[in-house]
Amino acid sequence: MSEVVDPAVSLRLLGPELLRHTLARDGVKLDLGLVRLRVQSDELSLPRQLIDVYGHFAAEQSSPWCDMHVSLLRATGPRRWLRPQVRFIADGHTEFEPFPADHALPLMEWGVNWLIGRRMNNMLLLHAGALERDGRALVMPALPGSGKSTLSAALSLRGWRLLSDEFGAFDPVAGAFRPVLKPVALKNESIEVIRRFEPSAELGPSFLKTRKGTVAHLAPSLAAVLRRHETALPGMLVLPRWRAGSATVLEPIPPQVAFTSLAFNAFNYAVLGAKGFRAVMSLVRGMSAWRLEYSDLEDATARLLDLWQRQPAQASAVPRVNLATGPAPFIGDGAT
Amino acid sequence: MTGTTVPPELAWLQALREPGLVQGWDLARWEHVIRIARRLRLLGRLATAVDAAGLMPKVPAQPARHLQAEMQYARWRSGGLAWVLERLPDMLGGVSYPLVLLKGAAYMGQGLSIGLGRLPSDVDILVPREHIADAQARLLAAGWEEADMDAHDQKYYREWSHELPPLRHPLHGLELDLHHNILPPVARTHVDASLLLARLQPSQWPSWQVLAPTDQVLHSAAHLFHDSELRDRLRDLVDLDGLLRHFGAAPAFWAGLVPRASALGLHESLALALHFCTQWLGTPVPPAVMAAAQARGLSRAKALWLLPLLEAALWPADPDGLPPRRQAVAAQVLLVRHHLGRMPLGMLLPHLWHKIRAGNDSGAQATDPTR
Repeated sequence: MSEVVDPAVSLRLLGPELLRHTLARDGVKLDLGLVRLRVQSDELSLPRQLIDVYGHFAAEQSSPWCDMHVSLLRATGPRRWLRPQVRFIADGHTEFEPFPADHALPLMEWGVNWLIGRRMNNMLLLHAGALERDGRALVMPALPGSGKSTLSAALSLRGWRLLSDEFGAFDPVAGAFRPVLKPVALKNESIEVIRRFEPSAELGPSFLKTRKGTVAHLAPSLAAVLRRHETALPGMLVLPRWRAGSATVLEPIPPQVAFTSLAFNAFNYAVLGAKGFRAVMSLVRGMSAWRLEYSDLEDATARLLDLWQRQPAQASAVPRVNLATGPAPFIGDGAT
Repeated sequence: MTGTTVPPELAWLQALREPGLVQGWDLARWEHVIRIARRLRLLGRLATAVDAAGLMPKVPAQPARHLQAEMQYARWRSGGLAWVLERLPDMLGGVSYPLVLLKGAAYMGQGLSIGLGRLPSDVDILVPREHIADAQARLLAAGWEEADMDAHDQKYYREWSHELPPLRHPLHGLELDLHHNILPPVARTHVDASLLLARLQPSQWPSWQVLAPTDQVLHSAAHLFHDSELRDRLRDLVDLDGLLRHFGAAPAFWAGLVPRASALGLHESLALALHFCTQWLGTPVPPAVMAAAQARGLSRAKALWLLPLLEAALWPADPDGLPPRRQAVAAQVLLVRHHLGRMPLGMLLPHLWHKIRAGNDSGAQATDPTR
């Protein structure tokens, strides 16, 4: 951890009062790794929510550049007295329908994810959870019922470095995944599952009756925050599936299944055209691919670690996916 | 040519035509321009211009990746439009009547610089009114589908509109709008579509034609100044500026512009377009053309109240926070004016009543951010 962040300016140490002032004026700047985000808000409940789940992030005052500028502002009009609402505004443009005012954090989280998915088309944005170990990424695409966020949260609490629970952000030029470090959004039963799995987990407040039911966020660890600019080479692809009462099953899957699980769950596979195809092909060729069925999180995380440590193939896969230096048969074709 | 100075807040727009200017921009400037250009749907255009000039390597890394990313996005959206236009003539089954591209598709079909880096979400096509039912039937047979709408909206499109309800196709991500005119038939300004059809020109794409240069300018102007929403519409002025600069290279274009506006009844739209293009974008317009357009199109009394309203609505708001109150007020006044110009009061009031009851006149996007 060579990078030193002055702890005096972390959101947690800044405290709700100063954060509220900062949000109401120039805004607070959060470095998420892939993007630098600026947030302004007049919503009084937001500062505490932000401290709960972005507590380890530095509140950067003077960074010269932000990629995204969002505001969460109280909606005006007569209903502000009856049922106050908050709006998500990006660059002065209101996106989405407003949320109840005390749901500012979930609105911000979904809104920023939406902006990243729409805008960062210089990356292949897989819809996947991504974690790092030994410099390599474990990628878990979001298939219905996969519980990728739950598993991402659990692994991040067992020594893996969280890159993102939502975006497998693969940089085709660097041939590596980049962190999009945000709180892990846990839904409904997953919240209690993670609380039981790791009682010390830093969970933010539960938001009831959102569009996805109850949502609570797991704060990224200080270590993950400090390493948010460290990329990870492709490591392993795992398609998780939670099934009540099932024993843990981990078995290899054929490359065509790996391909469809990556490509057709990506946010911008079609947008990238041939580049997207080549990027996914390089990932399929560079990563071993597995199917995981589980009901017990403790057993599943242990089995994944065991498999990870028995993977000698990883080292030999490097030249195939290291696109910056390798012969690059499938990517970097100059089709820009 | 008129020699007005462009407002400093809009000076960055010059980089769309002269991308070399971006070399003088620092990070703070880039940050501001990227935000405002994105909101005005001009970021893809800026990126394409910078890239075509070979200047991308000279752009700082932080803005450069946003330019690259938006260019990729624009390439995908434009490719989607090109694909539809390539397939449509076959889907229509070799009809003998003209198929005319309008607006963005027409600019792309002529290889104009304003056609580059666009983010088309719909494709606008004009066919002669007597053939529009045939064209629609053929498209429906080829898998295009009409959106569900209630009886009122169907009646609105059938009787009061210059286009049919938008069509969608499961294989194509774009909406298809089939027009038989460029303004609604019940509007106070009535355009004789047969005049437009008499002067069609070929595009670069076989099977597709475009309007005459003067008519493209007049349509673009009418489309902007007859629309219900003028906020964040600076892009339309940039289009007009691009058309005027491109077609204006031929002297015959300027000689025909004002007479054509009078023939089509679009002299007010033209006067407004020339006013804002010269004042805000420094578009070169021959003084005689300017004077003739203003004399025909805009009385002094009207200019006195209309121009400030349009200015307030069209002026791009600061990207921080919310647009100023005066813009919202101006937009509301212009909305009322728009509705009054579009249909007679006896038609308008029942229409508005229906819209209020149906609750579908909401301003914000109803997109669900939670996917």
